[in-house]
Amino acid sequence: MAQKKTRSTPQSSTTKMVLPDDITFPLEIRLHGRGGQGGVTCAKLIAAIYAQLGLNVQTFGDYGAERSGAPVRAFARVDRAPIRNRNKVYQPDHLLVLDAALLAPPVLDGVGAKAAILLNSPEAAEKYAETFADFRFGIIDATGIARKHGIGTSSVVIINTTLVGAYLRLLELPLEVLEDVYTGMGLEDDLAAAKEAYQKVQVCQPSPRATQKTAKTTGGQLETCLPEVKPQTEHFEDIPSRLKTGSWSTQLPGYEDYVAPCNHACPAGNDVVGFIQALKTSGPDAAAEVLLHTQPLPSVCGRVCPAPCMHECNRNQMDGAVNIRSLERWIADHSDFRLQPEKAAKAFSLAVIGGGPAGLSAAWQLALRGHQVTIFEKESKLGGVLRYGIPVYRLPEEVLERDLKRILALGITSVCDHPVDKAEMARLHQDYDALILSKGFSDAYNLAAAGESLDGIEQGLDFLARSRKSESGENLVGDVVVIGGGNTAIDCARTALRSGASSVKLVYRRSRDEMPAIEEEIQDALREGVQLLALRQPVAFRGVGQVAGIVLAEVELGEPDADGRRRPLVTERTSEMNCSRVLLALGQQNTLDLLPDCWQIRKDRIWQKDQPLNIWLAGDCATADGTVTHAIGNGRLVAMEALAKLSGTESTPTTTPQGSVVAPAQVRFSHFPVLAPHQDRHRVLETYQNSFEEVNLGLSGQEEAERCFSCGRCTQCDTCLVYCPDGVISRSENGYQIDEDYCKGCGICVAECPRRAMDLRDKGLSDVR
Amino acid sequence: MSVELISANHAAALAATLAGRANRSARGFCSGVYPITPSTECMEFLCGQEIEKGKVVRADSEHNAMGICIGASAAGARSFTTTCSNGLAYMVENCVAAAGYRLPIVMSVANRTLGPPWNIWADHGDSLLLRDLGWLQLYSADNQEVFDTVLCAFRLAEDPRILMPVLCCMDGFILSHTMAQVEIPTQEQIDRFLPPATIPQRLDKAAHTLGQMETPHQSVVHRSQHHQAMLGARQVYSEIQDSFTEIFGRRPADPLVSYRAEDAETLIVSMGTLGVTAERVVDQLRDQGQAVGSVRVRMFRPLPDTELRQLFGGKKRIAVLDRDISIGFGGALWGEVRNFADRDSIVQGYMIGVGGGDVRPEHLLNLLAELEQSEESAAPKIVEVA
Repeated sequence: MAQKKTRSTPQSSTTKMVLPDDITFPLEIRLHGRGGQGGVTCAKLIAAIYAQLGLNVQTFGDYGAERSGAPVRAFARVDRAPIRNRNKVYQPDHLLVLDAALLAPPVLDGVGAKAAILLNSPEAAEKYAETFADFRFGIIDATGIARKHGIGTSSVVIINTTLVGAYLRLLELPLEVLEDVYTGMGLEDDLAAAKEAYQKVQVCQPSPRATQKTAKTTGGQLETCLPEVKPQTEHFEDIPSRLKTGSWSTQLPGYEDYVAPCNHACPAGNDVVGFIQALKTSGPDAAAEVLLHTQPLPSVCGRVCPAPCMHECNRNQMDGAVNIRSLERWIADHSDFRLQPEKAAKAFSLAVIGGGPAGLSAAWQLALRGHQVTIFEKESKLGGVLRYGIPVYRLPEEVLERDLKRILALGITSVCDHPVDKAEMARLHQDYDALILSKGFSDAYNLAAAGESLDGIEQGLDFLARSRKSESGENLVGDVVVIGGGNTAIDCARTALRSGASSVKLVYRRSRDEMPAIEEEIQDALREGVQLLALRQPVAFRGVGQVAGIVLAEVELGEPDADGRRRPLVTERTSEMNCSRVLLALGQQNTLDLLPDCWQIRKDRIWQKDQPLNIWLAGDCATADGTVTHAIGNGRLVAMEALAKLSGTESTPTTTPQGSVVAPAQVRFSHFPVLAPHQDRHRVLETYQNSFEEVNLGLSGQEEAERCFSCGRCTQCDTCLVYCPDGVISRSENGYQIDEDYCKGCGICVAECPRRAMDLRDKGLSDVR
Repeated sequence: MSVELISANHAAALAATLAGRANRSARGFCSGVYPITPSTECMEFLCGQEIEKGKVVRADSEHNAMGICIGASAAGARSFTTTCSNGLAYMVENCVAAAGYRLPIVMSVANRTLGPPWNIWADHGDSLLLRDLGWLQLYSADNQEVFDTVLCAFRLAEDPRILMPVLCCMDGFILSHTMAQVEIPTQEQIDRFLPPATIPQRLDKAAHTLGQMETPHQSVVHRSQHHQAMLGARQVYSEIQDSFTEIFGRRPADPLVSYRAEDAETLIVSMGTLGVTAERVVDQLRDQGQAVGSVRVRMFRPLPDTELRQLFGGKKRIAVLDRDISIGFGGALWGEVRNFADRDSIVQGYMIGVGGGDVRPEHLLNLLAELEQSEESAAPKIVEVA
């Protein structure tokens, strides 16, 4: 920085003026601020002003714990004679306090009568009138003014240039000297803020009694106002005394749990990081104990879940997501762990209508808490879509039975072959404390294309259900066309292939990238011989009585629509293709036809006129989310909501954990070795016809758990302990402890933590000395 | 001539910059630097300057920073660097080489305590590591003196009668980070004061080696030449002072700065900023009628022995203040100057301000009061200062 205009002796370029009488020399000035506020520069500005007035100056900071926010001091000294004093300022004539929170004994030390004090604070002068009655006292909201003038950044406001304006007014120095100095230092832009502070500073003169007191002695006689340094060498054995460096810091590191993206993404609300880390450190039983609190169907979800957790996994940004779905399967396949139900203080009796994933999840949560649960299922066995909508090569019967057995072992009663109609609903409402209605989707969508009523065209779900119910599966011959792009479409295509079809074509109106089915399932289907016809829309079916052909129009993709996927635009270009069977997998609609006429649905609860009934909707019939994992999550939430209402407590549980989610940038990838994901093993057959064996064999071991970053959760990896330059971190019973007496708050442990399980917090003002 | 409000670190760097530019018509300027608190601002400032035919190389260590200076100087360039404390300790091996090659390198040191335990504040222990290596050593007490000393150091180092490196010391933080008004000459004035550097042994077109193997006798001769050359620095410095005064209109401080010492009965001897604190105490005690004076040793190598002996003559009591501890011995300055006193003088050593304590007048008043009561010299005392 150049200060071309400053001169040490009165010359033509210095500002000529008569100094106020009450400025005596040597003049000593002390500033108290925080690292980052610009206190040292503020002292320099003040020194530059006196230099501009032709006086000798000296200015310096007090260096030590140089951390942003740490209390810092700066000094300036002014004299007509050359300055020989090389000491810090112990008895300031002018005291500037840049942060009112610093006002404490060490700040006011050595401030004698006749001193002038300037405080940066947005408060009114009256608040300090009594405290500083003996002094000339000025108060100014320099931070507010500097912020208004945009000096510094929005988070770090630089107040020094503003505060100096107030200082000039307090000392009754003219504003023009400021203009000379700021112009000389290239600070013209800050002049307006300084002038505003000059105008706005509130100045209080000392009360008359103060002037009676003896002024601070200056010149020849030096007061020994400081306590003598005790010679430690003579008095103590443990010398030098220990320096508690913790007092230097304004921030403290600590161990905090942040939300891993997998946990945040899991619709079921599973503690993904928790169960993977438990698997890693303690094995499948420990992992199952974590998992089963939210997940009654781990064998199922470990096979069929679309795994949004893997989509969000931070490891995607490095070497591929952790194979979470298959780890869940590994746990379910390798543990017989059972959670024991609690004993409820007051046990309620609840009925769950519909034994699909939502109903099973709700029943599980209720039974775990010690309540009586009865499930009413219209089919002959529990499972709903799991049993009748998902083919056995993906979800073998015995796997589903294993999860169901664990659920029923909690003492849940299941009443199968028991469809519920309006009258039955009303009866159950009378008999039970509460009902949870989880009947799933109702009818599937049709295509509304010409010829859709021809024989050989049917809903894929009906085909899948028949296929599951008959021992040998459904026999199919000829060329099969499946219409749709979701998991049901893939299931239909692969089941058709296994049922004897000579060819299976999958027709989807958008591109492959937009298919909602699980990517691995699409790959499996293609590997098994399913042909994909993307960007095709069926517009008509041909045939006499029996379908014989399908007319497909080409589709182009237009602008993205509300859900971000590009809108399909059907063109005039068509082609025809022979086929003997068509399976529709276009999704399902949501209609509720089993409610008595005077009941209405409001916010997933049943109301009768203005009275809420103890009947809640859960799963697809409430949310239409359409996945098993969503149904499980919703089932749990609805069960908790129902219990809260029954017991009269307020409860608003959410599926997603609250708090800050760990972003990829917050994970230190360099800490982790690159390791490709462990892939599932697949049974490869020459032909898949008539084979309904499970083809995905899952992982061969649990090593994949080692790949989990454990985002946001401490694994006791010792990185913090190893990197702490002061050795103040030690192992404790449940993790680590930090010796606050010696932690300087450098933040290295937080920066080095590979998984963002640490953070710095500001110390309370009372902690800062 | 202009006046700027700058820190002593910046004053040193600015002096080096101006000196570097002054060599533009010769072999230019080259500097190897590496940061360490509290010298960092000096190298930072230097890195920010545009120097015609000049290059500031940011090295990967202090050892290599000096290596770069050695190479630059051996190639005929004017060279400068800055470091302190453990950085200087790491540099020492190459400092030995710089002296042995008789290269006129100038180094600014913002004196800092050697660690561990770590301490960033002022202590002379670091520059004293170079005491016996064949470097001139100058200690300053204010910003102007720092600036002037660096300029004079180039003249001293490059004088054909001397040709050796010069260390310019300032107390860390107390000076290095203190801003005060400093008079800055024009480049034209600097050019007059510092003519193009001539380094006779420089590596040029004719191949030759520097610092090759030699016999015991050759070493004695080389050491003797080095020693004699350094002793000659006092005379050369006096000529430089004259030249400086003529060009810049003010006289740089003497090798010994004596203050009200002639008629004093008690003398305070010190180095660096302790000296100006001593002068303030002298004024106070003189006001009370006590015959006290101060001597600030500015030139520690070569030590002005004759002048010291002359000044010490007839003094009853001499308090020697050291901002250092030669562990197992006492203060380094005390060890060197005590023999210049009369046989019946009481010479008392005090190690004070060690580790950067803020030595205030009252500390000196206390120890002088105690000294006035003493009848004989005692072992050196450590004075604890916070």
